[in-house]
Amino acid sequence: MFIRRRLYSVGLTLAVLALLVYWTYYQKSALGRVSFGTGYVLLAAIFFLALYNIHKKLPTLPWGSSSDWLQAHIYVALGTALVFGLHVDWRFPTGILDLTLATLYSATFLSGIVGLVWSRTIPARLARVSEEVIYERIPMLRSQLCDRAQEAVLETVRSSGSTTLGEFYSRRMHGFFERTRGLGYFLRPNNRLRRRLLAELTEVSRYLSPPEQVTCEQLFAMVRRRDDLDFHAAMQWRLKAWLFLHIGLTYPLLAVACLHGLLAHWFGGGLL
Amino acid sequence: MPQTEIIANRPQRWDVPFGDAMRDSDVDQLLQIEPFRSIDPERFPSALPLRAILKNDTRVNHYQDGGIIVREGDYGSSAFLVVQGKARVVLAGLDEEVLGRQPESKPGFLKSMFRQWRNPRLPEVRSHVASRSELIGNDSQQVADLAQTRVFLQDIPRVLENTRSVVLHPGEIFGELAALTRSPRTATVLADGETVLLEIRWQGLRDLMRRTDALRRHIERLYRENSLRVHLRETPLLSHLPAEHLEAVAEATLFETYGDFQWHETFHSSSSSHSGSSGKATDAVVAEPLIAEEGSPCEGLVLVRSGFARLSHGFGHGHRTVAYLGKGQVFGLAEVIGTSTKNEPVPMSHSLRGLGYVDVLRIPQAVLEKHVFPNVSQQLLDEVAAEHAFFRPEHHGSQAQVETPLLEFLVEQRFINGQQAMLVDLDRCTRCDDCIRACAATHDNNPRFIRHGFRHGSLMVAHACMHCVDPVCMIGCPTGAIGRDRTTGVVQINDPTCIGCSTCAESCPYDNIRMVEIRDSSGAIVIDDSTKQPIHKATKCDLCTDLPTGPACQSACPHDALVRMDLGNLGELSEWVNR
Repeated sequence: MFIRRRLYSVGLTLAVLALLVYWTYYQKSALGRVSFGTGYVLLAAIFFLALYNIHKKLPTLPWGSSSDWLQAHIYVALGTALVFGLHVDWRFPTGILDLTLATLYSATFLSGIVGLVWSRTIPARLARVSEEVIYERIPMLRSQLCDRAQEAVLETVRSSGSTTLGEFYSRRMHGFFERTRGLGYFLRPNNRLRRRLLAELTEVSRYLSPPEQVTCEQLFAMVRRRDDLDFHAAMQWRLKAWLFLHIGLTYPLLAVACLHGLLAHWFGGGLL
Repeated sequence: MPQTEIIANRPQRWDVPFGDAMRDSDVDQLLQIEPFRSIDPERFPSALPLRAILKNDTRVNHYQDGGIIVREGDYGSSAFLVVQGKARVVLAGLDEEVLGRQPESKPGFLKSMFRQWRNPRLPEVRSHVASRSELIGNDSQQVADLAQTRVFLQDIPRVLENTRSVVLHPGEIFGELAALTRSPRTATVLADGETVLLEIRWQGLRDLMRRTDALRRHIERLYRENSLRVHLRETPLLSHLPAEHLEAVAEATLFETYGDFQWHETFHSSSSSHSGSSGKATDAVVAEPLIAEEGSPCEGLVLVRSGFARLSHGFGHGHRTVAYLGKGQVFGLAEVIGTSTKNEPVPMSHSLRGLGYVDVLRIPQAVLEKHVFPNVSQQLLDEVAAEHAFFRPEHHGSQAQVETPLLEFLVEQRFINGQQAMLVDLDRCTRCDDCIRACAATHDNNPRFIRHGFRHGSLMVAHACMHCVDPVCMIGCPTGAIGRDRTTGVVQINDPTCIGCSTCAESCPYDNIRMVEIRDSSGAIVIDDSTKQPIHKATKCDLCTDLPTGPACQSACPHDALVRMDLGNLGELSEWVNR
């Protein structure tokens, strides 16, 4: 189903773009101006792309499913790259306003591409984690896990009188359970800390008393779960953050694009 | 300082009686006729007296000649007793137009847009919290709504031309099947002349049956008999059978029931105890009631009348689920045909076990050979055999594309009961929560599901009402607040009559009903005057029946990750999983 849909969408997009390219070359060969035509097409496309966010805000309206809108959003957005190239005649502008506009467009386009790649790859990585977690509940789950780990270690120290595991926990593991991961992990999640902690826990387990060994096994599971929670937090944050950035760039892009169009007419004439 | 609490009276079971016209004298009259005359009032507790049941859970309906009493395919929650006149049961399907079915009207663009802006900011706000006195005062209006404008058949002789029908006389009961099994009406019933009927809502019928053995046996016998011929006629192999042979088959058909009618009560504990090692899962399969065993000689054809059955095949030391059969499906067709052609019993290729509650009909081999095979063409026999051969091991049709572990998962968790289950493909879901926001926007800012649930690999069945084939949540509701929509079959909760007893939430085997504290329009939590505790209401997915787009969650998913699906339809599931 998805392959058929992709083929259809790609075909339609290429056909429309081919028509547009043909029109611009036809106009140029007739010594006509194409910048207004391509500018209007580009502006209309950007307005259409921005409309998708409005669609999301009004889900009760009968104006097509979000899935259909996203498909249209993706292919129209990809098509704007060619229209943009035709509009600027394949040269990056130099004026302050035009440069700002081109930068805003490029940033929005690139953030969209990155978002598309992430939204197609991250879900499958999250699905491989054993547990499915709701983003808003992660802090609560972390806190519960931290309490459980601490309680298990304290109880073992109390009941066995042995402090080896307790000292190791307070020195190496308490911070892991208590603190959230840094920005570096959020930008590039990895399992280095998990592997290191599990290795250290394995190393220290040879010095533990039998009751501590039991708690140590629990800690193994808790470290894995905490790392899974952190992975979910980082990946889900990434999926939300890019959208925030993408939408955040859209509004200045629209505003500057409108200003650019107004100024183009003002100083360039040729109001249609 | 804004008010934080408001005192109100918690609604009670009979605040809204079924009919407002039931006077004491009417009840006296009812107690003079059968079956109520034979009922011993002493068997009813003081809190639930017989008179009160008759007064509050019944109503007297008058029909003119041709008036449609129930329509085939509609969902009903009441049974009917013929008091005067006659009722005609039409055994053949009538046109939708003749039955007065109108296309549903959906709100337009502007109305859909404005409804979202009217949503309150606080959760679970009720624009008007009805007090008990208001509910009682509004009774006549409620009853008027319930009665509705009736539909009449015009030119009855022409409409019923070439259709078979059965006439019911005073004292006879009908409609009990749909009322008790939470299933659609199997036939259309018309008034034959001026007719007076007593309509008994199913909560009342249930209470009457619990305390009256004779009535219970009578209803059960009707339940068994009334739908038998309809069911046999709907079976492909028997659909073209001459009437006299069908009658002979009906006479010889055996009724069998497996499992518990209220299976949900034991499901939670058994599922949690069996969800573990594969060895325990095997024990769970073995513990299921056996309808037919693999390897045993074929003794006849099994028709599933209601409920679900697991089709399994021995594999190693366990049982591998091959498919599940639901209402209308047959088991053992290839074997009965094989037995007939080879003149010796063919062993069953699979085992059939009841899941929850299952009702089956068994037609003995000898009856098939005497009345069916001689009257069925070889072509029809081949067609029917091919159509029902999906569980043959050599077949690789659409059902075979659903992997066995997924089938096992759906069966173990009883998700096969779901007609509108919410499936989430976690390989595509970006966890954007657009589905939740859309659901909230449609329900006064209150999401009616949780994007979380049981997982099988990357497939998740979220906690959203599945509008089950057998909605066991309806069983214990004392007021009938939870019920099926008459035409769509969607399970809905009538908020004003919900008394917040949480019976439905506890009965739901899938934990898909939430009890919530409600607020009035000022935002104050509504407190029960007598207990000083917050008043709760049951809430759940209503499938956005009033939205032109259908379920908002599905249409709001940008990545085609979420779908509402009938899990009884393995072909549809297979197509979605392998898309």
